Amino acid sequence: MDKEKVKQIVLDIIAEIAPDEDLTDVKPEIRLRDQLDLDSMDFLDIVMELRKQHGIEVPEAEYRQLESLDSSAEYLFPKFEAKAVA
Amino acid sequence: MPEARRKPEALDGQHFEVVVIGAGMAGLASALRLAMFGKSVLLLEKHFVVGGLNSFFARGGRKFDVGLHAVTNFPPNGSAKASPLIRLCRQLRIPFEELALSPQSFSRIAFPDVDLRFDNEFAFFLSEVERLFPREQDRFQKLLRTMEAFDAYSPEVAGDVSARSILSEHLREPLLIEILLCPTCYYGSAVENDIDFASFVMLFDAIFRQGLARPLDGIRRFLDPILNRYEEMGGQRRMNLGVKHIVTKNDNVERLELDNGESIFADHVISTCGVVETERMLSSTSQDENADDVGRISILESIAVFKEQPADFGWEETIVFYNDADVFRYERPDGLTDPRSGVICIPNNYRYPNGEQMPEGQLRVTCLANYEKWVALDEDTYRSQKEICRKAMLDIALGYLPNGKSMAEDLEERTELLDIFSPRTITKFTSHLDGALYGSPRKSRNGSTQFSNLYLAGADQGYVGIVGAMLGGVAVANNRILRGD
Repeated sequence: MDKEKVKQIVLDIIAEIAPDEDLTDVKPEIRLRDQLDLDSMDFLDIVMELRKQHGIEVPEAEYRQLESLDSSAEYLFPKFEAKAVA
Repeated sequence: MPEARRKPEALDGQHFEVVVIGAGMAGLASALRLAMFGKSVLLLEKHFVVGGLNSFFARGGRKFDVGLHAVTNFPPNGSAKASPLIRLCRQLRIPFEELALSPQSFSRIAFPDVDLRFDNEFAFFLSEVERLFPREQDRFQKLLRTMEAFDAYSPEVAGDVSARSILSEHLREPLLIEILLCPTCYYGSAVENDIDFASFVMLFDAIFRQGLARPLDGIRRFLDPILNRYEEMGGQRRMNLGVKHIVTKNDNVERLELDNGESIFADHVISTCGVVETERMLSSTSQDENADDVGRISILESIAVFKEQPADFGWEETIVFYNDADVFRYERPDGLTDPRSGVICIPNNYRYPNGEQMPEGQLRVTCLANYEKWVALDEDTYRSQKEICRKAMLDIALGYLPNGKSMAEDLEERTELLDIFSPRTITKFTSHLDGALYGSPRKSRNGSTQFSNLYLAGADQGYVGIVGAMLGGVAVANNRILRGD
């Protein structure tokens, strides 16, 4: 697991939630909301899929850590690492 | 699955994480949304079919929709992503195409001396307003801006602002106000002679900015993908089974006592059967404590089936909202029904793919009706009055269709099948007290109740239309159960 893989996991989830979005050119440093048509309902789905598919919990107060692919990778990487060790 | 989630099997069929009362549009949407994320969900429905007000029934070997005239919110080309219907499809992970929606031909709002047409192009509606009310242009534009700035879907929106008063502040021609209120009230107002501004904005957008559509096979085509998906996700469903009591302890729901005597335990309960109806299931509320909150708007609807396509008679419109006076009355009538105003729906006149058509012509006419008067009738009078009222309704309604008046006798002869449903039927399908079409005037937008694990969704959340009801159900599932779980 590395941060690039985490970004891909998030992108795969977005592809599932919003199949009509074009994800070929998503800039990792820019807020997802600013380049894709995602609303707070969609972010809830990202959180729910992280839990369902990977057993990763994101508390509500920390949802905004997922605002860009870079910030998602920073925030989620340690959680994936901890999961792998356990 | 990395994380073991509790499944219904593990809970003995007696204990669920969520029980949803009512399999109408809001109940189905919230149940599916929760099942999608691994919640053990039980959906309870008192009736033997799903859909609530938007259900279906069979007569004479034909299938009919109950409440559905049109699915509103049909997304216009190019604006798809901002559309509530597309947002709903995303939330339920149902491809939009699966709903098989076909757009309307065109529809009309007919008042004496005024006939306003609209289709699924908002620009056409705007041009019609301009044609008929040229002096209102600036004020109408300002009204549109007020509406655009208003977040009608917000869970925190005030549900008791009068649309009539806001329209009167913006517009000078009373007739334009009545013309705007007529279709919006008919498609979703629970209050008499007005509609709350949030619902008005939602319906205005749903009907005019977006548009009307219908699947060729009717509402079942819309319900099936949702039900199938719910079952795929492991959701449970029990039909013909109502809830007798919601048993509470302190500020929590502890269990549900069902009509068959069974008890079901639930961590969360979503009730979609109405605010008053839900309160009456709570052991703590007396029967007449909330009697004033029972909705007063109900309808009589007649369906005539004939061999010809309505276009053969020159009827090409999909929906006609009509009113025989300059003032629009939207209230419980003094008599059984009030035929002077109503809604015509011709489901044949959607643009179905590849020129396909419904096998027979259908003409639906809906008028406001008085629930108390209808339930007071004995069975024989009930039947004869349905026929008398149907004729009276049709007589006036036909006057709003091209050459309709002269077709009256001919149409009676050609009619192969008639069906009428009354306020009693509405109660059968929706469980709403008093056959209240759109529930109680008292709404709980965010779904909260005095009990920490009991939430309301559906008609009494004040989200309107099929798409609105479902988004309301989704919002309760998201905000009350999934978020912060």
